[in-house]
Parts: sequence; structure tokens; C-alpha cells
Amino acid sequence: MADDRKTEASAEDENATVRTSRRNFLKFSASGAAAAAVASWIPGQIASAREAEPVTDDALPGQGERRIKLIVNGQEHTLNVPVNAVLLDVLRDRLNLTGTKKGCDLGQCGACTLLVNDVAINSCLSLAVQHEGEKITTLEGLARDGELHPVQQAFLEEDAYQCGYCTPGQIMSAVALLNDPNLPKDDASVREAMSGNICRCAAYKNILAAVQSARSRMGGLA
Amino acid sequence: MSKPNEAKIIGASLPRIDGPEKLSGAAKYAADNHLPRMSYAYGVFSTIASGRIQDIDVSQARQMSGVLDIFHHGHFPTLYRTPSSMEQENKVDETRLPFEDDKVYYPGQFVALVVAETFEQARAAAYRVKVDYASEKPIADLEQALATGEQPKPHGESGHERGDPASAFNQASNQIDVIYTTPMETHNPMEMHASTAMWDDGSLVLYESTQGVIFARNTMAKIFGLPVERVVVHAPFIGSGFGSKLWIWPHAVAAAAASRQIGRPVQLVVPRQQMFTTTGHRPATQQHIQIGTDAEGRLVALSHETVNATSMVNTVAELAGRCTPTLYSCSNVKVSHATVRANIGTPTAMRAPGAAPGLFALESAIDEAAVAIGMDPLAFRKLNYTEHDEGQDLPFSSIHLMEAYEKGAEKFGWSRRNPEVGSMRDGNELIGWGMAACNWEALKQDSEAHVSLRSNGTVYVSCATQDIGTGTYTVVAQTASAVTGVPVDRIQVKLGDSTYPRGPLAGGSWATATVMPAIAKAAKAAIEELKTYATGDDGPFQEASMDDLQFSDGQLSDGNGKSITFGELLKEMKLANADGRATTSGEMNSDYSYNSFGAHFVEVRWDPGISRLRVSRVVSAIDVGQIVNQKTAANQVEGAIVMGIGMALYEQTEYDPRSGLPVNNNYAEYLVPTHADQPPEVDVLLLDHPDYNFSEFGARGIGEIGITGLAGAVANAVYHATGKRIRSLPITLDKLMA
Repeated sequence: MADDRKTEASAEDENATVRTSRRNFLKFSASGAAAAAVASWIPGQIASAREAEPVTDDALPGQGERRIKLIVNGQEHTLNVPVNAVLLDVLRDRLNLTGTKKGCDLGQCGACTLLVNDVAINSCLSLAVQHEGEKITTLEGLARDGELHPVQQAFLEEDAYQCGYCTPGQIMSAVALLNDPNLPKDDASVREAMSGNICRCAAYKNILAAVQSARSRMGGLA
Repeated sequence: MSKPNEAKIIGASLPRIDGPEKLSGAAKYAADNHLPRMSYAYGVFSTIASGRIQDIDVSQARQMSGVLDIFHHGHFPTLYRTPSSMEQENKVDETRLPFEDDKVYYPGQFVALVVAETFEQARAAAYRVKVDYASEKPIADLEQALATGEQPKPHGESGHERGDPASAFNQASNQIDVIYTTPMETHNPMEMHASTAMWDDGSLVLYESTQGVIFARNTMAKIFGLPVERVVVHAPFIGSGFGSKLWIWPHAVAAAAASRQIGRPVQLVVPRQQMFTTTGHRPATQQHIQIGTDAEGRLVALSHETVNATSMVNTVAELAGRCTPTLYSCSNVKVSHATVRANIGTPTAMRAPGAAPGLFALESAIDEAAVAIGMDPLAFRKLNYTEHDEGQDLPFSSIHLMEAYEKGAEKFGWSRRNPEVGSMRDGNELIGWGMAACNWEALKQDSEAHVSLRSNGTVYVSCATQDIGTGTYTVVAQTASAVTGVPVDRIQVKLGDSTYPRGPLAGGSWATATVMPAIAKAAKAAIEELKTYATGDDGPFQEASMDDLQFSDGQLSDGNGKSITFGELLKEMKLANADGRATTSGEMNSDYSYNSFGAHFVEVRWDPGISRLRVSRVVSAIDVGQIVNQKTAANQVEGAIVMGIGMALYEQTEYDPRSGLPVNNNYAEYLVPTHADQPPEVDVLLLDHPDYNFSEFGARGIGEIGITGLAGAVANAVYHATGKRIRSLPITLDKLMA
């Protein structure tokens, strides 16, 4: 693989740098050092993840397989999947939507949380064939036009993560709870509601701050 | 010009530069890599704790659809062991290779590996592999190992003795003589260990969830008998490790070997259950502590002797007494460590190895000593405070522990503590206030780095270290920004690739301290290179000498009104970049002892009516030298505090004493703190005194310190609320109700 051998910076000039300048992470921008135009690669990555190419299996389903239609982040896919294939594995292995993480495969940690018809579920506990035609939203489907979703933005600003591995599940649970009119808004209720998502780095203090900050920036609606 | 900027950027409160990738799902972790023609592997794991494999029947599994091969001790290539050297950077904790022979040393050991076209097929076939064992009675845990009568094996090099601790203890006016125990704990990073391996023309490319790409590369090179340049390891993102991903474990070897055998990429994820058995753990300890004090409360004798359980195949000592020679002033001290063997996987470093279980015991015993003479535990610690490391007979390079005691106590309101047990109450709840000191040795390593000023006005930085969630990407960008004056949004940082300049393991709280000087030196070298170009024949400053040129805020100036940005300069000269490379040494001035310190103040609430125990408030004052990034630093300590609460109240990896098999090897039964367990108030005070005796940036590192002492502070608070001195972690309700 050619890109395994990169050692010189010059080899990467085309993709050169840097982070989204939209948010002005730095208030003390150095005078004069500015390059005229700076590519912002993150929004591009967000867009390409969300607008994944549709996957269509043309062959007839094999033995033990079934053909299903999955609508993921607005994109329709037609797949032959084994009946025992788990939704999480199909998203990751077949659709290459690896934003949704596997933390335990037992429904105990919440890393694989995503939305099915706007309801948060553990995708490791759900067979893909159960979701024929349902509207599935993963982390990759939250950003719009290169702009982070308010919950993503709040996680960034509040530093509501460390290693980032539970983060997709935390964000999806947060989106679901902020859209749930039945959940109380106080801190203790949010802690309870977010307790299906383990963060071993234990950035809980900042996760709570991010959820509450996203709530105010969304005006109570996601 | 660059000074004010430097002052601002180091110590700023910046969002992580890798945040957008992590938050959008673009960050690729080891198992997120899907390579062309990739196959999937699934392990078969021993269901006995000790014995031998008599027969493996793969006939049924081999017939299942999609199965490509099934490896086991009768069908696996011959590989080599790594010499496991820290100096050669090829260390592992478990030296035995997977499928080396028919022996079973611990439950959950790899006994076979199925490789198939899909994950579902590999898993289904793994369940059909039939293994016939000759089982032997296992030694299930530390308790059984101690009961065998086997003499604990001393770990000589880690001991310490000064004065005459035995007679000083016997003559002391007050004596504490107690045994503490801590259980086996499992790291449980959120990301399961994962390897995605492929071979390309005889070279191994490995996407590994590792805290050290250089160690992983060197280790795999040894095991496969390859020169290191034939192995490339990638770990740009890892779902943390807490020590469990410092070294290569058997799964990575199995995945790489399987890939070579079948001639296709292989992905192998270690299931959560087997992360309790085959990827390391914090071993169980038994710690005997003796404290002698004089009538005023001065320490006159201190002895801390630890035995921990290790595996049948390797010796790993848990250095629980590592802080004991250092933290207090005392003339007569003894510290020793020893191991006994059990049928468990090989232990490894877990966040603050040694110090976390050791300071639970020491800081609980110090509390006992204070209580025994009716002295306030904070006053007791202040009385025995020292700014001289008596263990090494050296002054500390920088110590602000007294300030940590005072500021922490003030913020917490310690002066309002009624020392009488069970005297503080809020409704039905008894309130307990406890405190403890924290301590972690400050370390740094050799490192290399590359910084490139590029013609498009951006800066490229690379180093083969990892960001395991601590914020290293951001810290590296801040360092490059401090030297070049280029804002971090125009600095591209590349980490986690063994082809980059050699960088340190992300462990031991040394990554920040190690990489900052290397990045800074490389950045300065790049600036020098730029000046060379600028004053050369085609350069815009060919009239000037290099010494006349100043570089600040990304611009080169001659002091006579002429200045040009490095991007424009390079573009004008048709050059791609100005490169700087640097190597820095981890060697430290031997005139000092280098340590970080702190103090935890903890409030617990115990409702005896419903037997509910909660940690409700924590104030921690932390002295780790310069804070590089306020946001990520506070996050580290806050997270470590909560992991410490897990250690204090919940975490214990249990084995069935009859079968030796794991009992609670999953997230539902091995309890880690959830969001609901988070104390409503956690306040971290970062004292922020740069330690310039340690390094030019004065930052000592912050990953471990927060967990040290925390369990002790909780135990001391529990004693204050309940009068029960729990000397065995975790502090579960049954122990309080007994």
C-alpha cells in the first residue's frame, strides 16, 4: 500500500492540512503567517462519509442469506445478508460505516448506539434483517453541509471525550434524549439517561456539560 | 515577538485538534480498516484454567461455509519469541507465543483461530471447534497461590531499605500493623484489542490498537524474524488502553501469522470476555504495612511489603511500594515486592501501576496511624512532609505538595470536618470526609521528531508516538505553534505510524514530557533550514547573514523592515518545504528526584437504612508542573478520579475458586463507573508550577497521577462515616454491612 510508506511531508502537500477554520479555534492567530487559502479537510470527510455510495448486491441471496433494503443516513442500500448478521457488523463491514463502534457485542457498553426511526438502540443486539426499510441514522449522518451537529459541536467545545471510542454512542444517545420530550432536563436525569453509554476514560463531567450546552443551543429541539 | 505567543499557546485551553475526526466518525481505529480481500478471524479460547489439549477436532468447523483455515498448536507456523527488552523496545509481558504447544496455563488462552470470509462465518465456525482437554486442578487466584506454600519469589531490584525499620517499629510509641489487599482489575478500554494484518511482498503491515507503534513494530519483527524495516504498524487512533495496549499480546501474532498463511488480510478482534484473560490485567496484591510513630505523630518506622499474583509463564511484579520510600520523611523504611504464580493470564501495567494499589494501602494506613493518636490526617501528613526524596537522598526537582494540601483543603472545606466517626449527617445519610496524597514518578524517554515548514503556509509535524485520548495531537500542535508562531489550525500533526521518526510509548505519563522537547528542537531546526535557504544564492535575504534573521509569527525578518512569511519565501524559491529533524534524550540531571504530587479530598455519603454508598464530592489539587492544555489536562485528572472511584467501590475481576474460570468477564458484571456513578461535584485544581529542572517546558505529565491515592481517600472517608476500616478493595456493601 503506497500510503504506508509516507515519510516526507512533501508527499502530502495535496491534502495539506488543516482543521476547520470556521470556528476560529485560536483567538491569537498569528499576524502575517496566513496562507491565502487553507483547505479545510474535515467538512469534506464528513460529507464523504455521509454520502456513502449506495451498495447493491446484484446476485441472488446465497444459502442462509436474505435480501434487505437498509436506509442509512438517507441512502438506500440493497444487501444480501446472512440472517444471523448483526446490524452493527453489516454497517461496519458491508457499508464501511465504521463511525459506529463495537465495544462489547453484548449490549452492555453503548458504543454501538445509533438511531432507528429516531429511537436509540444498541445495534450490536439487533439483527440486520429486522430493519428492512427502516430509517437508520449513524454518527456519520448527523453533520449537515460540513457543519457539525450541535451535539457534536458541544462535545468539541466541552472536551466531552478522550480516546473518542465511546463518543459515537454517547452522541447518538444525547441526540435521542434531547429529542425525547418525556425526559426531564435536570443534570441528575441526564446522568441517568446517559448511563447506558460507558466511557472508560470517564469524561462524564464534560459529557454532561456538552449535553446541556447542546440543549440550549438547539433551543430544546434537536 | 514569539514570546507572548509562546506564553499563550502553552497552557491554553484549546479544543482537541483531532476532535472533528473523532466526532464525525472519520477517525480510523484498528478494526475500522477494511482492506481489499480481507478475511475475519475469531478465536477459540480455553475453557479450562490449567492442563493440556488432548485433541482438537476441526472437522465440522472446517466444512462450514466461508471457512478458510483453522489454526491451532498442530497447525501453525514456527515463529520466534521476542527477547522482550525495554532497551531494545520489543518488550512484551507474555513471552509465550500463541499455539506454541498443547499446554493451557490460564482460562481464556487462545487454543485455536478460525479464519473465514466473513465475521459471522468465523464466529459460527469457532463455536464448532471441539477441544478435548486433560484438565488439572488450577491455582485460581492470589489467595490459593499463597496457600500452596510456595515461597514468594522476591523481586530484588525494586526493594528499598534504610535505617533499621524492624527495631524502630518495635520501639515506636504507636504502631500500626495491618494487611491490605487489592483485587485483580481489568483495564477494559472501550475499544477491544484489534489487529488488522496484511502482508505486502514479504512485509507486514499491521493496524493495531497499540499504545506504542515502535514497540509493536520491533516486537513483530523479532517474532517473524524480519528486519524492522519490513514491518509497519499503524495506530493513528486508539480506543484507549490504560496500559493493556502497551505491548503486543498473542492475538496480534495470531492475526499476522494467519494473514501470511492464507495470503490475505486478516482482521481479528479480541472479544470483550477474553480481554479479561488474554490481554493483561492489574494483578491482585497483598500488602503488609507497618507504621511506627512517636508521641508527636512523627513517622519513625515504615515498612511496606507486597506480594502479587503473576502467571505461570511470566513474572510481572506490581510495585505497590514504589511511592513509599519517597512520599514521607522517615529514617527507617523497608519496601519489598515478590510474586507467586497462579493459573491466570500474565499481568501488565494498568494506569499508575504499583502506585494505584500501593497508595490505597499506604494512604489508608497513614490515616489509621493519624486516627490512632487522635490527630487530624491532614495535619499528620503535613507534619511528615518532606521536600527531600529520602529514598534517593536527592531534593525533588519541584514540589508543591504543601500547596496542594492547603488549596485542596480550603476548596473542600476540610477545616469544618468533625473528626468524630459518624458525626456528620445530612438527613438519612452519614457523611464521611477523607483525604490522601497522590504521587507519581516523572519520567521521559528518548524521542525523535520531524517538523516541516511548507510552501503552502502550513506546518507538518510527525512523530511515532500515539494519542491514546490524552490530547497528544493537540499538545504537539501547541508545541510547534509555540516555536513557529503559526496557529494550530495551520499545523498538521501526524502520529501513530511506525514509519515516522521514533517516538515514545504512550504510557507512564511520559509522552508529553518526551515529545515536547523533540518537536521544539525539530521546529527550530526547520527554521534554521529556512534561514539557510533564505540567505543562499537564490534567497530573498542573500545580503544578510543567518544570524541577522529573526523568525517569529511565521515570518522571517532582517530587522531592517523586510519580512516575508515562510510560505511565500519557499514558494518564491520554488521549494516545497524546509525540514527539521531532531533527536532528544530522555536523560535527566541526576541532581534531583522527579515526581508529581497532589492531594485528594473526598466526601462519601452512606445511607445505612438502604445500605447505599456514594462518592458525592471530590476536590483534587494536582502538582504536575506546567499545564500544557487546561482542557485536556483537567479531563485527564477528572477521568482518573472516576476510575479511582471504580477501583475503590466496584472493580474486581473474579475467578471461580473451584474451576479457576472467570466469573464476571463482561461489562455488566465487572462494574466500571457509569455516568450515574459520577459524583455531582468534581473539582480539579491544577497548580501549574513549571518544573524547569525537569525540562525546558516544565511539564511532567498527567495521565496517572489522578488515580493514585484516590481509593485511599475514599476508604478513609468511608471510615469517617461508618467507623469501618475496609482494608480489602473494592469497598462493597457486604463489607460495610458485616
